[in-house]
Amino acid sequence: MAQNRRGGNLVFFGVIAVIGIGFVAALVSTWMKSDDWKPGRVTTEASGGGELHPVTIRQPDIQPLVATGELDAHGKPVMVACATCHDNRDPNYQANSGSALEEFHQGLKYDHGNQTCLSCHNSEDYNTLKQADGRAIALNESMTLCSQCHALQHRDYQNGMHGGMTGYWDLTRGGRTRNTCIDCHDPHHPKFPTVTPVFPPKPVIGENPATHDTPSSHHENHE
Amino acid sequence: MSDSSSGGCGSGCGCKSSGESILNRRNLLKATGVTLGAAAFAKALSPLANWTREETSVEQFLQNHYRELDEDGLKQVLARLEEDAHKNYGAKVTIGDHRPQKGVKFGYALNLSICIGCRRCAEACHHENNHDRASGNSYIRVLEMQKGSMDMEHGNAHYDHPVPHPDKFYMPVQCQQCDNPPCVDVCPVEATWKEDDGIVVVDYDWCIGCRYCEAACPYHARRFNWTKPEIPKEEINPNQSYLSNRIRPQGVMEKCTFCLHRTREGQMPACLEACPTGARIFGNLLDPKSEIRKVLDTKRVYVLKEELGTKPNFFYFFD
Amino acid sequence: MSSNSITSEEEPPHHDAKFHATSYLQFLKLAFKLCTEGSWLFYAWMIVLTAISLVGVHAWAVQVEQGMVVTAMNDHVSWGLYIANFTFLVGLAAGGVMMVIPAYIYHDRDMHDTVIIGELLAIASIVMCLLFVVVDLGRPDRFWHLMPFVGKFNWPVSMLTWDVIVLNGYLLLNLHICGYLLYKRFLGETPERKWYVPFVFISIAWAISIHTVTAFLYCGLGGRPFWNTALLAPRFLTSAFVAGPAFIVVVLQLIRRLTKFKVGEGSIRTLTGIMRITILINLIMMASEIFTAFYTGGAHAVSSQYLYFGHDGRNALVPWIWTSAAFMVIGAVLLLRPKVHEHLWTLDIACVLVFIGVWIEKGMGLIIPGFIPSTLHEWVEYVPSATEWKVTAGIWAGGLMIYTLLLKVAIPVFTKKVSGTRNG
Repeated sequence: MAQNRRGGNLVFFGVIAVIGIGFVAALVSTWMKSDDWKPGRVTTEASGGGELHPVTIRQPDIQPLVATGELDAHGKPVMVACATCHDNRDPNYQANSGSALEEFHQGLKYDHGNQTCLSCHNSEDYNTLKQADGRAIALNESMTLCSQCHALQHRDYQNGMHGGMTGYWDLTRGGRTRNTCIDCHDPHHPKFPTVTPVFPPKPVIGENPATHDTPSSHHENHE
Repeated sequence: MSDSSSGGCGSGCGCKSSGESILNRRNLLKATGVTLGAAAFAKALSPLANWTREETSVEQFLQNHYRELDEDGLKQVLARLEEDAHKNYGAKVTIGDHRPQKGVKFGYALNLSICIGCRRCAEACHHENNHDRASGNSYIRVLEMQKGSMDMEHGNAHYDHPVPHPDKFYMPVQCQQCDNPPCVDVCPVEATWKEDDGIVVVDYDWCIGCRYCEAACPYHARRFNWTKPEIPKEEINPNQSYLSNRIRPQGVMEKCTFCLHRTREGQMPACLEACPTGARIFGNLLDPKSEIRKVLDTKRVYVLKEELGTKPNFFYFFD
Repeated sequence: MSSNSITSEEEPPHHDAKFHATSYLQFLKLAFKLCTEGSWLFYAWMIVLTAISLVGVHAWAVQVEQGMVVTAMNDHVSWGLYIANFTFLVGLAAGGVMMVIPAYIYHDRDMHDTVIIGELLAIASIVMCLLFVVVDLGRPDRFWHLMPFVGKFNWPVSMLTWDVIVLNGYLLLNLHICGYLLYKRFLGETPERKWYVPFVFISIAWAISIHTVTAFLYCGLGGRPFWNTALLAPRFLTSAFVAGPAFIVVVLQLIRRLTKFKVGEGSIRTLTGIMRITILINLIMMASEIFTAFYTGGAHAVSSQYLYFGHDGRNALVPWIWTSAAFMVIGAVLLLRPKVHEHLWTLDIACVLVFIGVWIEKGMGLIIPGFIPSTLHEWVEYVPSATEWKVTAGIWAGGLMIYTLLLKVAIPVFTKKVSGTRNG
């Protein structure tokens, strides 16, 4: 009788123990399984170190021409070469704004530090630009001209961290096109212009963007 | 013994012994009630039946986890998904399976001195990644921040005045592709994981839509498909990838993948190409000559919410 | 009641499997019968509950078809009323343990007779919990991904997998305990201790675990400062031990009025005593959370600030939380009156007040402010949509239906009104 009961108890606790161990084993096995971090199927081989595709810097497409403000018979603006006028006029070394100049340059917006026009334009040959040491440089080599002063930006540019680009980060697989200075910066007023933002987030229910600050509202009061 | 007791359910409960006719009034009433109830439940569930018929299939129901699929299985899945895109959206798309490249780990940096807050990156993301048009979804949220404060408390995503405003700076936030991603830890079904090149991806066909990852992410980087995405046929980007920008099903999570369908082909992400000021720098963190490494070497970069220990691979800097 | 006395006085009858096969079927048959028989009040109650749950079922079906856009949740507030109710109901399920401890550990006689009411409540609450999780899923058709071995179970990293384990485990434990006790009573036999007492003790620890794990779901998220507090799990437990006993006290009184089941005064007295302590601890913890948040200020206080006082005209949660606070304080004062159990109406009111108070505190007052402001500090408010209310009401109705039916079976069996034995 007592033997029997002891046997029964053994069976009972045996069953409980088996269930318990089974439970823990099951959990641990899911753990082991999930710990198997095969992070995806095959990883592709590194692309061969073969030849690098070219990095193209966009060439400024600038003609030494200026708009006269008049239209021709086809409705196109009439352009004149710089030399048309500047061949026989004395350079004005002081001029540093459009309004100080005559004729076509009146409307020119100018905001580029303390430079005068002839800091960069070459009074010897208006079809070229002038470096700080007086040497002439082609109109489309503006990057060389700019980097005389903006060396930090130029260094960053050379390191690939200034200026927009499109194409491939991996030059072994494709080329890249990079902006040049004047793609983004108008040389006469280089600060990036103010733009209207696109693509505002659509408010969801419960969101009230009207109470958000616009530059004129309360957050401005911090000043 | 059991026979004798079968009908004997005492007095209290009011039930009669089964010795009497089963077809008494009460039982008939009960049967009617149960039938009506069942019918009403069936009727109430009819939208579910509709949905099952139109939006699901046996193959889809039984589809295995992405990492468990063999080559043939994956091929079939991709073919089916392309067919579905054609059926549901009328668009001809190619869905690829872009794998990480050896020796590549992606990093992204953003120059906050240059960003003007035009939101072109968010817009490009919207189109590149086949986001729902109705909700105007995007993986990128651009915050207009108060100068002199790094506190997002002073941020605002809904600005609508010409930018940049002189008193503000602009901080686009998207998935930081953390090395220690809380979203991956919390997922109960391993529907999201970190790949070899650092990208945290979602298997849209495995996610159960519990949104725990959305609660866990400190960067608001995850989005849920609250409806079936709605995109006009002609606007669908046909260059798609299983883990990336294929049109997501309703009811699952999605997130920025650094455009892995482009970047794993060597291309730049769409948001970088769209940036008009060149504020974004992308590249391979494992290549010491890469642009992203130059940024890390020469700029004082920081990461968002560093104190949370998420170890982002997205870096911000001013210069 | 000890096993020794039983075995010495009367050897438990030996039944073979064949006996159990037939008599268990009869037990189920009887249960079915008990479930479908009753007074007009019972029918009316069940019909009302069925109607409400039908509305809920339909609302859920529409939600699955059209997407969760029909809820008021969004990418900023990504959990809402469903998870709020889930959290509360885990507590209600755990609260039943406050009857189990006096009954089985301290051998409280009155409690021993009524403990099944708490255990059945645990079953009904867990079923509701699981339903609330299911309706919160964007893809309920993929539920099988969450099953160990069949799907992919991200254990032990994901706290949600722990919750799946502990909730289902707790459900099984209580099903076993209640089922076993009822079946034995049905047979007219004394239950063998070894087949339920160990499980009862496991269930006590397990009850603590379900609520601790549920708290860990939230407090493990570093990106949500409002939840990221070590006090969350203890707070969950104390508030569970307020809400659970409160619900049971009311149920006990209803049972006393509607049936002939003898509910000992001792049960209610003990439960009231427990609530007196737990509600005070709960209030103290709440106060210390509030102090920490508001005295420190900064990022950790923003959500609390919003919760209690609103932010810039956004104050959707303010009425909720102050209702909760008022109910809890009034409830506490009423409960602390020395002779409250002699004034049953006062006790009932106190119980209802603290029950609602905890429901708000653990639900709308805990889950929602975790998301407001969002992780990028955007302000999006949340007010549950009609669909969410319908589904929620439907699940509560379903849960009450289950609880009613369970009681409907258990009470006659326990009062020996019915049984399947010779002496039945």
